[in-house]
Amino acid sequence: MEKDKVQGVEMERIPSGIPGLDELIEGGFPFPSVILVSGPTGTGKTTFCLRFLCKGAERGERGLFFTTLSESVHWMLRFSSQLSFMHPEYIDQDIVYVDLGELIRSGDHDKILEAIERNIAEVMPQRIVIDPITVVGDMLKEDYRSFLFDLGNRLKHWNATTLVTGEVHPGELYPPEIAYTVDGIVLLVVDDEHGDRRKYLEVLKMRGTAHSSGRHSIDISRKDGLVVLKARF
Amino acid sequence: MNSRGLIQCDNLRSQLGDVPAPGLYVLNVNSTHFVVAELVLLKALLGHGNPGLFVSVDRPHQYIVHLLKMHGIAHEGLRFIDTVSRFSPGEANRREGIGLIKNSSHIDELPVALRDCSSVPGGIDVSQLRFAIIDNVSILLMYNSHRAVEGFLRDFTQLLTRNAAVVLVINRERYSDLYATVLSLGAVELGLESEQEGANGAVQFTEGLNSRRGN
Repeated sequence: MEKDKVQGVEMERIPSGIPGLDELIEGGFPFPSVILVSGPTGTGKTTFCLRFLCKGAERGERGLFFTTLSESVHWMLRFSSQLSFMHPEYIDQDIVYVDLGELIRSGDHDKILEAIERNIAEVMPQRIVIDPITVVGDMLKEDYRSFLFDLGNRLKHWNATTLVTGEVHPGELYPPEIAYTVDGIVLLVVDDEHGDRRKYLEVLKMRGTAHSSGRHSIDISRKDGLVVLKARF
Repeated sequence: MNSRGLIQCDNLRSQLGDVPAPGLYVLNVNSTHFVVAELVLLKALLGHGNPGLFVSVDRPHQYIVHLLKMHGIAHEGLRFIDTVSRFSPGEANRREGIGLIKNSSHIDELPVALRDCSSVPGGIDVSQLRFAIIDNVSILLMYNSHRAVEGFLRDFTQLLTRNAAVVLVINRERYSDLYATVLSLGAVELGLESEQEGANGAVQFTEGLNSRRGN
C-alpha cells in the first residue's frame, strides 16, 4: 500500500437478492444509495423489492417497506407468501411494513416526508422500499418535483439503500420526474415479439459502478420471483 | 431501543466505565450497521451526562441529532463538528462547529482548529470533553492519503485522550490497514456483545414492531 497517495475506498455494496443481477453491477447495489426500479404493470417490481428485503433479512439487515397503495400487510402477504424466499415471520421481526396511503391522499408534502423520516429513524433499516412512488405524483401534482428532490436528498443521508418503484405508461422507459434524483435505474421491460410477450431487465444507470449495458431476459416464477437469465449462445 | 440494544449499551458501558476512561478505543462493526452501533455507543457514553464531541465526516450531523431525539437519548452535553453540512442544503451551516475546517479533505487541519477554538468564548473546550466519536473514520481515506489520516488520528488522539475516550468505529474486514494503524496507536478493542453472546455486529433496535400506518 502506498501510504502517501489518496487511494480512495471501494464502494460498499449489498447484494440485491435477485439471482443473476449482482453479476451485472459489480456485486450489488451501492450502500447507501437510492435506486429506481421502473416498469409497466406486471413486470415484477414489487416482487423485486420483496426479494431485496428478504435478502437483507437473511443477512441480519432490517428492512422498511412503505406502501403508497393503502394495501394491508395481510393482503400483501396473501400473494407474496407464495414465493419461496418470503417467510411471513420476516414481517415485523426483520421487515417493517408501513402504509402511507392515507397520508398521501392528504396531499401534504411535508407530512409525508416527516412520516417517512420518522419511521426510518425509529426502525433504522439498512434496506428501504417505497412502492410505488408514482402514486405520490398523482396526488401531489405540481408539488411532486420538489417532493422528490427533498425525498432524494434526505434518503441519501440515511444509512440505507432505498428502492423506489415507478409505474410507467406505454412507450415510457422510466418516470422522468424522479430519474435525475436517483443513483441508479433498473428498467423492467416487456416486448411484444411475434405475439409473445417477453420480459427484460436493463441497468440504465448505476453511479460508481461499471454496470452491464443491454437487455437481459428475465423470468418470473412463483418459486424464485424475478430471475435474470444467463445469455445462451 | 430493544432489549438487545440495551444489553449492548450495558456491555459498552462496562468496558468504558460510567465516566469513560481516557484513551483510544476501536469498535469493529459491519459498515451497514455504523449508524445503529453509533447510537448504542452514544447512549452508553451520554448516559451519565458526560460531555462529548461528535465529529461527522460522512453525513450531516442533523441525522444523528434526529435519531437521538427519536430514541429519547438526552444529548445536552454533546457538541458537534460537522464537515459535511457545508455541502448540504438547509440551515445546518449556521449551527455550531460547522465550517471549522473547509471539508473532510482537510481533516489534518481539524486538531489545530480545535486547539484554536478552545480558547474562544462559546468554543469547544477540549479539556471538558469526556469522549469523542468520529462517525466514519474510514471514509476519510476517500479524500486523504493513509498517511494523512494516520497523522490526523495521532494528533487528534494526543489532543483529546488526556481527559477523554476517543472511540473509532471501523469495519475491520474492509479496512484492515486502517484498523491495524489504529491498534498501533494503542487503541483498545471494544465489543458490542459479551463473549457469551458472540460478536457479529448485527445490532437491532426495535422489536415486535407491527405493521402500521405512516401517520
